[in-house]
Amino acid sequence: MPSWAPLSKEELAKARAPLSEEQLQQRRMVRINAETVTDTSATDIPGHWGPGQDDSWNLERFRKSLQITFHQNKPLDATFSLIGVDASIANAFRRILIAEVPTLSIEEVFMLDNTSIIQDEVLAHRMGLIPLIGGHEGLRWLRRFEKAPPKDDFAAQAKYDPDDVEDNAKTPNDHNTIVLELDVTCRWANEKEDGRDGRKLAKEGSTDPTEKYINSNVYAKQLVFKPQGEQVSMFAGENAIRTANPDILIAKLRPGQRIKLSCHCIKGIGADHAKFSPVATASYRLLPHIDITQPILGADAKKFAKCFPKGVIGLEHDAESGQEKAVVIDPMKDTVSRECLRHDEFKDKVKLGRIRDHFIFSVESTGQFNSDELFLDSIRLLKAKAEKFKRHLTELEEGR
Amino acid sequence: MIIPIRCFSCGKVIADLYEQYVELISTPQNAAGEPMSDGQAMDTLGLNRYCCRRMVLTHVDLIEKLLRYNPAERDIIKLNNQR
Repeated sequence: MPSWAPLSKEELAKARAPLSEEQLQQRRMVRINAETVTDTSATDIPGHWGPGQDDSWNLERFRKSLQITFHQNKPLDATFSLIGVDASIANAFRRILIAEVPTLSIEEVFMLDNTSIIQDEVLAHRMGLIPLIGGHEGLRWLRRFEKAPPKDDFAAQAKYDPDDVEDNAKTPNDHNTIVLELDVTCRWANEKEDGRDGRKLAKEGSTDPTEKYINSNVYAKQLVFKPQGEQVSMFAGENAIRTANPDILIAKLRPGQRIKLSCHCIKGIGADHAKFSPVATASYRLLPHIDITQPILGADAKKFAKCFPKGVIGLEHDAESGQEKAVVIDPMKDTVSRECLRHDEFKDKVKLGRIRDHFIFSVESTGQFNSDELFLDSIRLLKAKAEKFKRHLTELEEGR
Repeated sequence: MIIPIRCFSCGKVIADLYEQYVELISTPQNAAGEPMSDGQAMDTLGLNRYCCRRMVLTHVDLIEKLLRYNPAERDIIKLNNQR
């Protein structure tokens, strides 16, 4: 019978029968073989599994299968599993986290005096990279400052329309700009002010600059926040804008050198400059899956466990053979090195894979917002984008 | 020249860790009076990825050499001589 012949009643019933748990599990697997990786593409496209099957996208089913569990939730480092979404959605979250969550950063540095050996432009760049923190409410209240693009940037000029920008956002003011100041002068330590004579110490052969000089190192904690207008109440007390890492070394000075500058911080996104990115890294990997199809016993089991990182494979007493048996304890720790597939004795006893819709996210914040908060922000942003897209589609339809 | 503020590849702040790192690898850290090994020091500072590790491990703090040439110091000496 040709393959396109209509199915008989029994065949149709067989095709339409609900899938067993095991079958569903098999469909989630990306298979990792000794030299190839197969079944990598998503299968939740209607019609993928042939005729007669209901594989249309279903909100109720999605709601049931979607799961988020936290493994670690520290402000600067969060790890969690996002289960039941497509790779494109997980990747959208990752990219939004890196490039589109708005954060506050130093954008403009006005050098009033810089006699240090760090050049103005290098110093300004270093200032920009310093992560800032402050009250979250105030940071969210802060609006964007839409700077007109430079005259010679024609691509940006073409996109920029001054009419689109609110009048309030065109000039720096207390709603969109934070001012920080730094004024440090290095000098010799003296008996009167510091209780030690730096020059004398130098003659005696001291090599420690912090002992001989005052302010030989300029740290980020020496930046002073100058609240403007409404910022006085928005960033009061412990909500003040300050650096996330107070001990960042900005520059080194020697007696007589001085740095005096004032910075304007604005909100921006990581796509404009990496300094605006709220995360140090945001990445995900798929959960590894190890399937031991035939029992691995005795000395083999020990060798098998050595093929994996510590804690992935454990040994268990097997009543049937009276020997030690290899069992999977924690596949999450596996690096999928495929070492076990290089040994002939394990080749046919184990199947390696990854679970296609189980993403282990790791988000490492730079400090301005907590890592878990950032993930929620990314969801909010993706939602807003989808709504914007839908609005444009309806506009398109109405225009027709 | 001076330690970069962030890791070039991932963006983790490292400028505040360098001084601690130098402290750990150059001063006695255990009962035997030995300093910590480079790898151990980076582990204690939380530098887990190899991109951040190379930032502190391979950094040469040239600014210390350049700081020896201080024109401002000459001005101070000149001023003192005039007095």
